[in-house]
Amino acid sequence: MARRHLIIGGGTAGMNAMRTIREEEREPSEITLVSAEKPYSRMVLPYYLDRSIAESHVFTASAALLAQWKVKAHLGRRVTALDVKTNVCTLDDGTKVEYDDCLIATGSAPVRAPVPGADGRNVHSFWTLDECRGVIASIAPGSHVVMVGAGFISFTILNSILALGAKLTIVEVAPRILPRMVDAAGAEVVESWLEAHGVAIRTDVKVTKIEDAKGKKRLKFAAGADLVCDVVIMATGIKTNLDWLKGAGVQIDRGVVVDDHLRSNVPNVYAAGDVAEGRDLVSGQPALHAIEPTAQEHGRVVGANMAGKDVAYKGSLIVNIVEVCHLDAASFGAWDDAKAEAVSGLKRDRAAYRKLLFSGDRLTGAIIIGRSGDVWTTNDVGMLKGLVQTGVSLGRFKDHLKAHPFDVKTAYIASGTTGALLPETVLGRPSKAPGETPVAV
Amino acid sequence: MKVLKITPERCTGCLRCEIACSYMQVGAFQPAKSVIRVSPFEGHTSYAPYTCTQCAEGWCMTACPVGAITINAAGAKDVLDDRCVGCKLCTIACPYGTVFYDPSTRKAFKCNLCGGDPACAHACPTAAIEYEDVPTADWLHDFARERASHVLATNGGGR
Repeated sequence: MARRHLIIGGGTAGMNAMRTIREEEREPSEITLVSAEKPYSRMVLPYYLDRSIAESHVFTASAALLAQWKVKAHLGRRVTALDVKTNVCTLDDGTKVEYDDCLIATGSAPVRAPVPGADGRNVHSFWTLDECRGVIASIAPGSHVVMVGAGFISFTILNSILALGAKLTIVEVAPRILPRMVDAAGAEVVESWLEAHGVAIRTDVKVTKIEDAKGKKRLKFAAGADLVCDVVIMATGIKTNLDWLKGAGVQIDRGVVVDDHLRSNVPNVYAAGDVAEGRDLVSGQPALHAIEPTAQEHGRVVGANMAGKDVAYKGSLIVNIVEVCHLDAASFGAWDDAKAEAVSGLKRDRAAYRKLLFSGDRLTGAIIIGRSGDVWTTNDVGMLKGLVQTGVSLGRFKDHLKAHPFDVKTAYIASGTTGALLPETVLGRPSKAPGETPVAV
Repeated sequence: MKVLKITPERCTGCLRCEIACSYMQVGAFQPAKSVIRVSPFEGHTSYAPYTCTQCAEGWCMTACPVGAITINAAGAKDVLDDRCVGCKLCTIACPYGTVFYDPSTRKAFKCNLCGGDPACAHACPTAAIEYEDVPTADWLHDFARERASHVLATNGGGR
């Protein structure tokens, strides 16, 4: 009998897993997908928000593609129970699906600050496609939008909101913006840049209430003046979608605890993406990385293992990049390790900032901020990732980087980073192009 | 697969490769739009071009959330402009620093081997860039290590 794979979640991890199963398997298997939403790419929603792409562009699994991959899809359905003893899962419409192995890739959901009025009219989250549609419908040119939370999600849609002709104010409970993406000095560079580009920012303020005010919204704070606006977007964090799995016998800590093959404590149950607590590449410690590249790599590793390969995962690297008003901000690896040996450089007149963190003579983390038109910035973004990813021994070029934190290229090339990278692949073989996925028959 | 084989000792720093590349890529003689980049060493007395290795993993291609990077007939990873939304995930995923972003088009761009007839190799007057069927390699490492060390030593920064 053909092996039966069950994929729970149609996001990046689930889609990559299904595609990789079809790439790697020698005999045809059955794939069943259960996805609460029709699969789309969350990464591109900001570009749909400002209408630079059509809604159709966001979808990642057309009916034709699912048919080509021979996937039996339950779209719009959620799993309510997983019985790991009998290998049966139950959907919210009562359907039961038997499986031989299963992937949990249910991703995350947005969390709103627990204040009165947080669920009121014209208060939105920005996470799902439906929520994106809600924000599109509520913003008109000249609208005043207040974003609660100055983190990564807010910043991915900042350009789009400005492009829609809205006036933007960002409020943040922490003393600075981007608290989980850049350090204080970097945050100051980004904050000054945004203020110079007409974005109002209030840090260190706690929203206590959101109320209706003659067709508008009024935000009240623990201290300081009220804010009146048209639309509120709550970007105050996310949490893993794992409540449905509690008590099923799958070990959950911050996420589903997985080994280097992305297997949980139940050997035929895998987890990937936001819900998987797997190895961090730099520290080697278990970590929850709710980022797109981790979901993609996890998904492919699981797909290969489900197809009968033996693929161990080295660990996922924290990478974040966001562009706001033509300023790039990116960070990698252990950028927030307060104990690490570090060097930083600031060119205030060019809004350029670098921070490099070392362990011995290896780079373990980095922050880079600079104008996105500067070729210099885009060059170094990738090279810093390569240095952290490979952990090449910098030897005497560590001193060079410490003396010249803006001259990454010399150290990168002279340390043989390219040579360290060339043999490296996630699946132990060259990657295939999208659309190049054969189906075993 | 044919690759861009770099012999850095032959490079004179003339930048013809960058001029030819930008003309092929965007129709302008504009080194800033080139996807092969000449770097100076030893206080601008020696130079070497650096570009995409068309690596086996294709970090840019696997990272793209909308399948906008594919493999073209020459075997090069190639950005499909009508699919690319400009999210920059490829620029941060590429550990070689060879995927770029053009703010004027809001698209990523990178070396696509000119579809199999790379302009940089044609334009190079000293055969520092050749298009050959050889395994790709870290062409610049030894060259750069030796020259960069010299700069470190003269700056008093080396040990």
